[in-house]
Amino acid sequence: MKNEIDTQIRVFVYDHLMAHGNPPAVAEIANHLSLTAGDAKARLVSLKIGKTILVHPDTGEVWMAGPFSASRTQYRVVGSRTSWWANCAWDMLGVAMIARESVRIDTHCTDCDDPWTMTAPTHAPPAQEGIVHFLLPARKWYEDIGFT
Amino acid sequence: MSLFRSEEHVERWLRTQARDPGMSVPLAQVWALAKAWYTDPRSEDWRPRTRDESQAVLTSVGLTGDFWELPR
Repeated sequence: MKNEIDTQIRVFVYDHLMAHGNPPAVAEIANHLSLTAGDAKARLVSLKIGKTILVHPDTGEVWMAGPFSASRTQYRVVGSRTSWWANCAWDMLGVAMIARESVRIDTHCTDCDDPWTMTAPTHAPPAQEGIVHFLLPARKWYEDIGFT
Repeated sequence: MSLFRSEEHVERWLRTQARDPGMSVPLAQVWALAKAWYTDPRSEDWRPRTRDESQAVLTSVGLTGDFWELPR
């Protein structure tokens, strides 16, 4: 039963992201699944596995649902029906895979702030060249996922 | 994981921020990583990968060596 509800929460969060560009509020999740807000928050915390869904430590609301961010970031991903924020340069490309469509990415170079728009198809890499720099080694990725 | 125009921009940013360098990966290789890493979480069958499965994804796109070793 627990796994079934966890699956329903996960699917609802990502369905909402696909349709609206942002994750649902805890109150919406609770209402959708006939849970109390407290139960919905507790379930969300239990989904904190890998890079799936992380809740904000202060609010308990969805903070990240990999590869999507609930808040504004450097990486705006524009699809055919809605737009999303991605957590990082890796995730901006992951959004196209989840959305299953070619997307436009509006971003900028982290060093010089030069605006940068690229198309990220699902079947081939972006035509433009660029570099993604991973500051932390993989063994530290999950120590502080917000920083990572 | 931050985006840069070139390695020259990475090096300048690291100096400006006084940060130790990590590892730079071409955008096309990160696209391959994203394609292999992200499966659709809306699938009822979706489950988190194990550590070894995630390591295999990194290896499959050429990200090997100590820097890319996930915690055990």
